Amino acid sequence: MLACVGVLVGSAFQLSTAQENLEARLRRGRQIYVSGASASGKAILAYIGEQSLELPASSMPCANCHGLDGRGKPEGGIDPSNITPEFLTKPYASTQAYQRKHEPYTDRGIELAITRGLDPSGNKLLTVMPRYVMTREDLSDLIVYMSRLGKDRDPGITDDKLVIATVLPARGALAEMGSAVRAVLTAYFEEVNNAGGIYNRRVELRFAETADTPAATRKSIESLLSSEQVFAFTCAFIAGAEKEVLPLFSEKQVPLVGPITLFPQTTLPLNRHVFYQLSGVVGQERVLTKFAATKSEIKNTGIAIVSQENENNALLIEAIRTQITKSGLVEPQTISYVPGTFDAAQTVRQLRQTNRAAVFFLGPSQDSLSFMQSAAESSWFPYVFLSEVDAEIFSAPAGFDERIFMAFPTSPADQTADGMKEFRSLAAKHQLPTKHVAAQISAYGAAKVLVEGLKRTGKDLSREKLVQSLEGLFEFRTGLTPAVTFGPNRRIGAIGAYVITVNLKDKQFLPISGWIDID
Amino acid sequence: MSLRTRLTILVLIIGLVPVLPAHRSEVTAQTVQKQAQKKIRRYSCPMHPEVVYKRAGKCPKCGMSLRLVKEATAQPAATIPDPPPVQPATNDAAFLSKNIPDVQIYDQTGRRLNFYSDLIKGKTVAINFIFTTCTGVCPPLTATFRRVQQDLAKQGLPAQLISISVDPVTDTPARLQEFAAKFKAAPGWTFVTGDKSAIDSILQALGTAVANKTDHTSMILIGNDVTGEWTRAYGLSSPAVLINVISRTAKGE
Repeated sequence: MLACVGVLVGSAFQLSTAQENLEARLRRGRQIYVSGASASGKAILAYIGEQSLELPASSMPCANCHGLDGRGKPEGGIDPSNITPEFLTKPYASTQAYQRKHEPYTDRGIELAITRGLDPSGNKLLTVMPRYVMTREDLSDLIVYMSRLGKDRDPGITDDKLVIATVLPARGALAEMGSAVRAVLTAYFEEVNNAGGIYNRRVELRFAETADTPAATRKSIESLLSSEQVFAFTCAFIAGAEKEVLPLFSEKQVPLVGPITLFPQTTLPLNRHVFYQLSGVVGQERVLTKFAATKSEIKNTGIAIVSQENENNALLIEAIRTQITKSGLVEPQTISYVPGTFDAAQTVRQLRQTNRAAVFFLGPSQDSLSFMQSAAESSWFPYVFLSEVDAEIFSAPAGFDERIFMAFPTSPADQTADGMKEFRSLAAKHQLPTKHVAAQISAYGAAKVLVEGLKRTGKDLSREKLVQSLEGLFEFRTGLTPAVTFGPNRRIGAIGAYVITVNLKDKQFLPISGWIDID
Repeated sequence: MSLRTRLTILVLIIGLVPVLPAHRSEVTAQTVQKQAQKKIRRYSCPMHPEVVYKRAGKCPKCGMSLRLVKEATAQPAATIPDPPPVQPATNDAAFLSKNIPDVQIYDQTGRRLNFYSDLIKGKTVAINFIFTTCTGVCPPLTATFRRVQQDLAKQGLPAQLISISVDPVTDTPARLQEFAAKFKAAPGWTFVTGDKSAIDSILQALGTAVANKTDHTSMILIGNDVTGEWTRAYGLSSPAVLINVISRTAKGE
């Protein structure tokens, strides 16, 4: 009896290790197929043509020509063969695009095709098909993977289910905002599911929590990705953790639509898998500069920049300078100060020497307020462009009435009647929180962009196909946020912002410009 | 004679009938050709040999410039005078070099250049057509080009290599730079992008414009602007073959 149990346990153990082995081999094989790189780190080389030009296999991996699904992508007059197992093992001599007849492929046959460029009947394959040199282990992993080619689905997709995840703050000052976003996402995807899901797939949501440090937030996302099968992310709260978290999405090739951040990536090369909905503060600062340049007084004198020294403000100054060149303004006067040492009176004296008509103030709102008070004492009321604003702004000296400007990436003008109606009925039906409506609207917009991408991709879904269909979005309107356009070189949906000014008498913000595009 | 035999003969005879008039027409054509040789120069379209005119001009079918038909080839060997070396070249130049637009383009470093005057004028060039998001045929095309560049350098043959993006809207100079670096392109190899209209006009002039970027040609255009001689080669031929064509073109052979 005991022995019997022992055998059972033993065989179950063997079975599970065999299963694990197979999964590991498939994973390694897929990596070779898709990227031409071996998990072992050993080189894989490709040799093309009669003269055997040597290339790293990473510049010509299998998937490049045969496609992720193995069916072949015709290009430039070359029609790569269908290499799905069903096709290669057809029992009769199959005729492929180039009228080449051959016997069915076996594993050995595939090996010969990969390493020697011959089909099972000894015919030469096309010149473009390289001969690959790799270790025996890599070759056998690749062949194991090829036996699953075409049936391989990205994580998080089944016939009736699609898993979407997000990362939100659950503790601390931002917890309330996090739960509002969570509520709106849950409500929206419930409606999507009630309407039949996306191509009969119900969307299931998974939530991870942001942690205290960027590295811990990254860990939290990583553990969600490894414990759950997640297809894509939306609305992930990555503010402050961009540098640590974003590379994870490109490494794992997980699409992320509409991350919540003030600093969307604007430098090249772009992260292919991350799609931002709105311009961040860098874009907004450029919009303000472009707007400033339309005022003749400012055009005449140029601008001054007062900034608290920090990394983010350095980015903003760079953005302002870029736009200054584009808009043809003169070189700015710049003053910077160490945090906590702002001397308003001294700054005003320095600025009065050049008397620029506009001051771009990059610093906390108490500093900008004390600057305005000092300026008012010497009866100087330049145009002030702010990067940070809070409710205290209405206590600014009356002389600055409608002379204070800031940029905002959305405006009520983007909200169509239908869009608002849809959102209100969603809010009423699901009793969405009445606070953080702006965050809710932005999350709702991002989820709509993701769903649009999924719908355009179709039933035969993969992460790569989703990225491609998102790249094809042009002026897509969510009904609540500015129109979204993506492209191969464009990952920010709405590049631009609105300029608003502060009416101090009636204590309100007034939109003063239409949409300003800076692309 | 059985019925079957008679039928067979009948079929044979009927079968032969069309041959006779055909033969006669051939004779007529030859006569006409000989007469034409005696009289005047003829201009013909490089793509439509049936289009023949007495003067230079454009082909009514495709709009290409007509070329002077080389009469020497049809004459008996003894009377062939040595063809002036520049003669056919200038005609080829009229066909291509003159039509290459001198539009503003960008290279992979973002430098603004004039396509004809900076890249083609007075040089021997080899041009291929790529786009950086292309995953199929562009990598082997570019790798072949890379080997051609190395071998040309070894043989001391100066030739400008040009890769024109057929997807200029996506291919920013930065993208081309990255692509060039991936294939270790050395100086003397320019990757070209620019406004879509500028690139379109170049592709039109070179006869390689396509509606869909994945249909781009795998051919390489090889030309010598000094002799005006242009030729084409398959981009995936072995580098040795391409070097041979380039060096012959460079020497004006």
